[in-house]
Amino acid sequence: MRTSTFFAVPALALGGLALTASPAMADSHDDSWSVQTSLEELNSSGTTGEVMIDIHGQEATVTMNVTGAAEEFMDGPFPHAQHIHIGAQGLCPGPDADTDGDGVVSTPEGHHFYGDIGTSLTTEGDTSPDSGLAIDRFPGGSEYSYERTFELSDDTLTAVEEGTAVVVVHGVDPDLMPEEAAQKQSELDPELPLAATLPAACGTLSASQMEEMPDGGADTGAPVQADNGMNLALGGGALALAALGGAWAVRRHTARA
Amino acid sequence: MSVAEEMAPAEPTSVEVPAIGVVSELVHLGLQDDGAIEVPPYGGGSPAGWYRHGPTPGEIGPAVILGHRNASEGGPGIFAELPTMEVGDTIAVTRDDGTLAEFVVYRTDRFPQEEFPTLDVYGNTVGPELRLITCDGLNRDTGVLEDNFIVYAELKD
Repeated sequence: MRTSTFFAVPALALGGLALTASPAMADSHDDSWSVQTSLEELNSSGTTGEVMIDIHGQEATVTMNVTGAAEEFMDGPFPHAQHIHIGAQGLCPGPDADTDGDGVVSTPEGHHFYGDIGTSLTTEGDTSPDSGLAIDRFPGGSEYSYERTFELSDDTLTAVEEGTAVVVVHGVDPDLMPEEAAQKQSELDPELPLAATLPAACGTLSASQMEEMPDGGADTGAPVQADNGMNLALGGGALALAALGGAWAVRRHTARA
Repeated sequence: MSVAEEMAPAEPTSVEVPAIGVVSELVHLGLQDDGAIEVPPYGGGSPAGWYRHGPTPGEIGPAVILGHRNASEGGPGIFAELPTMEVGDTIAVTRDDGTLAEFVVYRTDRFPQEEFPTLDVYGNTVGPELRLITCDGLNRDTGVLEDNFIVYAELKD
């Protein structure tokens, strides 16, 4: 299968990539650069996604798309706590990290791979580690997009520059968990089931190989006259241009093709 | 599949795509004010262009070359036939240090511009790669080409 080299890269390989790419980027970016990662599933959650962070000085714009996440929790959208973890190896844990043998890798069991919460990727308000379990301020449901601009803490910014910052999305459908684990309460908050805080997807942030990532698609087609669309199939000639006349300049700015 | 070794950085000067009979000089492209990628001029005979804020072809990462599907006068653009390209086709890029970077196509795809998968196309890669981009998906009611057609290639080992 070769759908995309980027998404096919194992988490460990991306970690290595970050180590080689980051120092160079730190020299060349004039206060404005970006990092990215693809989120790979943890705990057979089926959850995947992608993350891009544009950084200008201390300010970060985080864009995330997540799919295959747990859908429902107590008749509402399943809340997905999501964080930038810092201060450890900058890696995502494999199945071997399940030290208590309950069939899942819990947040504490993954800790020595990805470290502490550096930033809580909340939808509003505080983004510090204090909001790590603020489940009413995280996105929810099986598929979501997230975009927010805020100030990064010094600790998180340093980890991002060093290539040791890891994005983790939490919350796994209990039906996908081994029965014993599905019955447990979370070690992080006894009010919550383990399913609510279990890591579902993970990716190490690495510096973009592009100095600047273009936004969206490319306008690589000239606008063509609507009722004469066949002209696209070549050879429409100069008449089409003459016919379009003064409207041309306006179309150029409005049509994205 | 093994990954080809990275070449030294060198700016591309021309691109040759034998499968569609294209040989083109390359202009250098940046970003527009709205953050979208710049494109070559719309007129007939317009060359293809290389995105200068990305890797050079042969360096690790996704090097990007854009060409128009059509010309504003109604004739063909330099990449008019790009959507006929297939996996296994080759692309040769001449660079300003006199070296040639040869790529092999491993995937082609088409996306609505509104749902352009930015990281899939412009995101980090393990080895040296190349993207050829043009437009596709003519909306006959509006005359707008609504999709992008993307050729994904990797440096020959």
